[in-house]
Amino acid sequence: MVTSLASRLLEALGPDTVRTSPEDLAAYSYDAYSEGHLPSAAVIPRDVREAALAVRIAMNCGEPVVPRGAGSGLCGGAVPARGGLVVSMVRMNRILELDVRNRRARVQPGLINLDLSRAIATHGIFYAPDPSSQKVSTIGGNVGTNAGGPHCLSYGTTTNHVLGVEYVDGEGVIHHTSIDDPGYDLTGLLVGSEGTLGLVTAVDVRLMALPESVRVGVAAFPDVESASEAVSAIIAAGIVPTALEIMDKLITSAVEAHYHAGFPLDAGAVLLVEIAGPRDDMLAGEAAIKRIAHQHGAISWRAADDAAEREALWASRKGAAGALGRIAPNYYIQDACVPRTKLPQVIHQIERIAHDHDLAVGNVFHAGDGNLHPLLCFDRRDARAARAVVEAGTEILSTCIAMGGTISGEHGIGHEKRDALSLVFNTDDLAAMGRVRDVFDPHRLFNPDKIFPTGAICGEVRAPAAVA
Amino acid sequence: MTAALEPRIIAPADAAGVAETLAACARDGAAVVAYGGSTLQSIGNAPRRCDVALHTRNICGVREYDPRDMTAGIDAGTTLAEIARVLGEHGQWIPFDAPQPARATVGGTLAAGWAGPRRAVYGRPRDLVIGSTIALTDGTLARAGGMVVKNVTGYDMSKLYVGSLGTLGLIVRANFKALPRPPVRRLAIAPIAGDQRDRAIASLGGLAIEPTAALVLDGFTRVARYPGAALRLVMLFEGSDAVVERGTRDVRSALGKAGIAETLLLDGAPADDAFAEVIDAYVEGAGERTLTYRTTGLPSTAWARTRTAQALANEHGLSAESIADLRTGDAILRFSARSVAAFAERIAAFDADVRRAFERSTVLAGGPQLRASIDAWGTEPSTIATMRAIKAHFDPAGVLAPGRYVGAI
Repeated sequence: MVTSLASRLLEALGPDTVRTSPEDLAAYSYDAYSEGHLPSAAVIPRDVREAALAVRIAMNCGEPVVPRGAGSGLCGGAVPARGGLVVSMVRMNRILELDVRNRRARVQPGLINLDLSRAIATHGIFYAPDPSSQKVSTIGGNVGTNAGGPHCLSYGTTTNHVLGVEYVDGEGVIHHTSIDDPGYDLTGLLVGSEGTLGLVTAVDVRLMALPESVRVGVAAFPDVESASEAVSAIIAAGIVPTALEIMDKLITSAVEAHYHAGFPLDAGAVLLVEIAGPRDDMLAGEAAIKRIAHQHGAISWRAADDAAEREALWASRKGAAGALGRIAPNYYIQDACVPRTKLPQVIHQIERIAHDHDLAVGNVFHAGDGNLHPLLCFDRRDARAARAVVEAGTEILSTCIAMGGTISGEHGIGHEKRDALSLVFNTDDLAAMGRVRDVFDPHRLFNPDKIFPTGAICGEVRAPAAVA
Repeated sequence: MTAALEPRIIAPADAAGVAETLAACARDGAAVVAYGGSTLQSIGNAPRRCDVALHTRNICGVREYDPRDMTAGIDAGTTLAEIARVLGEHGQWIPFDAPQPARATVGGTLAAGWAGPRRAVYGRPRDLVIGSTIALTDGTLARAGGMVVKNVTGYDMSKLYVGSLGTLGLIVRANFKALPRPPVRRLAIAPIAGDQRDRAIASLGGLAIEPTAALVLDGFTRVARYPGAALRLVMLFEGSDAVVERGTRDVRSALGKAGIAETLLLDGAPADDAFAEVIDAYVEGAGERTLTYRTTGLPSTAWARTRTAQALANEHGLSAESIADLRTGDAILRFSARSVAAFAERIAAFDADVRRAFERSTVLAGGPQLRASIDAWGTEPSTIATMRAIKAHFDPAGVLAPGRYVGAI
């Protein structure tokens, strides 16, 4: 089968598009998750025609098709868990159409998120979803995981900014969807489906007008709990900032050592607040936020005076996970979401869980959305610590579910959390999702062993959990 | 078009009762049509059969609402007015923007896929749904999403159910992300003389404070009244006092330069009421001898589509009224004839012309006799085969509102 797939692909698409050497296949065997699996072949199509042809050939061979963007996913979504064909979208990275007046664009899935906003900024517009990985992650990958980011507090997640997609089905046929089409909202189904329903080959995105004014401030708090209380109070006051981000002391010290953006090091937690909109609202908004922060125990408040200072603060926040390399050789980042008001309790529980497992934990999270990202620090050469990280991660997820939350806010389920999905949904819930899978992918060849729990749909083989 | 016998009315007491009813209908092959407030029943085709009318009126209430989390789980039969009242006590809202909020239910509004002019700013109702429970014809209740505002946990099934018009199951509860309600709301109504219209519309292009909604009403004279003016520009500003004040000042100045001297301003409740009347007009007051289409497309083409509609009306001896939504790209086109018979005799040719002229057009409302011979949905989307397969997987017995949906689904 392996040689059959590779040779058919080579014959149809040529060696510049098809990769089959062991060293190339090794590169396509993993993403930012810890476990990998070798594919039989990889293709790097230049256009939708090549992509569709590759899908048809793989499906005809009965081989899985696994879409791949930048490979920055944290849950193994781009890992070819059952081998087969990896379709890397990196060459399909162009803006195909830009309609400034109507604020929309058609882009290819391999376009890097930040490159889109950079390319259109001169027109006074931007693409709102901004995952922290936006310097590397692609629009296609963002569509796969319905990616969020700090600014989805006010702008919404990827699904709120996708107007339609072009996708290739299991027979290699190209389809277009639009949220304006009559009929079922296939666009809404495809976003967040992690490549299990088809291969997305173009995305129609909604663009927004750049805000007239932006203000960023940093409040220092004695602890994460008080910062979280302030977040709830700000929102309860009817203010929806564009971002409300919390970093605890461990994270703050790591990012300060690297970026020197001027976050206070004596605080138990810092709250990064951004408001954006018409200039008329900025002063009142900032004053209200500052007042609420102080009412909830803030020990200091600093407003960024200019764009450079704002960008430095944001660069630090978005680089937080990477900066942790200064503290521990490895880290495991968890992604869960809880109702905002449960944050203080959940943070307290996370600290207890980490303590019980003798692990250091850093918390950096999208507080306004209740979207947590505890980072468990460890050294993978220490077998005890590696086991403890897995156990602690599972306990954290269970805690979040018990608090009315869920097991992924923006990273997706991928391979890593598929078995945890049944902690959230019962068999009736999963069966409804399975019907959709049956329609789009009856043979389970689009990104198999992802999202659905082992055995939930036909007898899938259990894979061991692991850590990053 | 309709069943020979009056349908049996069933109003289950709870979600489990809905699921049991659907399962019984599937077993018996009884066609079942869901009813909320009956405000948007004009959307889609009349079902081929209706043996059971399933009402959600006993399943209502805003549940699990925590104002600090700004999330609410709401039962299907709850009216939009009730939701506005409960959330309004905390300065919050869900901008459904749908007609007849005192009667319209949340379940019906979602099932109809309703999205009004405010979606340009706040998103469609679909964008504010964070979780749902649907009753299916196998008797199960299936949940999706949750009660958190960011969630990538399995497929976003709520997106599939919203807009499915009761053809896949019945949404019994939906969870929403609520928003803070803008404290100040102001409606600006400006009359436009025919020769000013293109300049006036163009003058709105460069506004720093964009209105929440910007509509050009041609006809529809019972709403957004302005003495003597058939053509009016209706702009809604929402936000803080300072922003609304600046927005209206700028727009008056821009319109003044385009030769429009007067603008009527309404604030607070009168603004809310006047705008609600405009939304009501999308589907109401149509009458037996009218047909109302919604066309969707690029915002920059909405106004031009209403001109095309006027030309089509002239060709067919009909009169046309329109609402061009300059922010979302919707154009609401209402065609009328002097009599039902006059319209009926040319309905097929006229409808075919409408479909040719507009890439996406659906019938929103109209006289039953006119609608009987045309399909509400127009050109089938290219993905229709996938949609049919979805229908077959969710409703294998084909009992849910048969024939109502796209492609005779």
